[in-house]
Amino acid sequence: MKFTVIKNLQKDSAMSLILKGFLFFILLYILSDIFVMKSSFGISAEAVNSTLFGNEEAYIDPINESSFLEFWHTQIFFIMMILLTLSAVFIRVAKRSRAILTNALMITALVSLISLPLAFYISKFFIDIYVITYFIWHLVAIYMIFYSFWKLNARSI
Amino acid sequence: MQEAYKLSILYYLAFSLLLIVSAIMLFEHKIGFSFSGVLEYYTGNEEKFIPAQSVAGILKIVLPHIFVFGLFAMVLLHFLVFTNIKYKKNIIILVYTIFAIALLEIFTPFMIIGGFKFFAYVKLFSFFALLALVLYLSWLLFHSIAYD
Repeated sequence: MKFTVIKNLQKDSAMSLILKGFLFFILLYILSDIFVMKSSFGISAEAVNSTLFGNEEAYIDPINESSFLEFWHTQIFFIMMILLTLSAVFIRVAKRSRAILTNALMITALVSLISLPLAFYISKFFIDIYVITYFIWHLVAIYMIFYSFWKLNARSI
Repeated sequence: MQEAYKLSILYYLAFSLLLIVSAIMLFEHKIGFSFSGVLEYYTGNEEKFIPAQSVAGILKIVLPHIFVFGLFAMVLLHFLVFTNIKYKKNIIILVYTIFAIALLEIFTPFMIIGGFKFFAYVKLFSFFALLALVLYLSWLLFHSIAYD
């Protein structure tokens, strides 16, 4: 977290490069997450519905509670770590709209994670909320990564 | 500390609460909060067709938790540096206690399958103590960020 107190990141070429490398890996994680989720849990409302509750026509068994809770537990940990580090870099390099975007990123990610058990235990209605917020936080995160890249290449930050 | 960083920390605390909720639900579903539940989960029960856990099986669960508990505790505790609480003497005790309880929570299953049934109580105690300490620390951080 040394980068949070460096006065001019652009002049510190090593730290700037380290942050760019880190942002590249976060970008890779976020893009890979979409592909992995597409082939496993599902990224459309129908696919998530089939994973959670099964689909007789497609011969898909519903996910058992134990696997669901393990999946949810793991997702929370990974997302909280990714978003904390991404927001720390973004806040350091961005000046305007950083609070709005950080709020948007965190709130949509939280809603996405909370709506998962609500969909599983309470109502299928929350599947739509999960899918919508899942894509919003991914898009906001990708925007923040590219914006941070751009700012790290700017004259001074 | 910049206001925007306070925002990041507050959201991290919110995610931590969610992680605690998921941990409680997972523990309750897989093991249960009773002495017999913990004992049966690790040593098995033929009448209920519950297989006993092996050292390799426990190690498979323990391995990621060693890294995760260390990282999670380190990140949460290092936020204290940004607050005025860091100057209090009790914080050192809190840091030692969190890491010690986390170790106990991770390694008690090995004692249970080793025949020390008493450690089922230790497992339950350390699980709830760890959650309570994380909640207490989160409250300290929240209070410090919101009101100091």
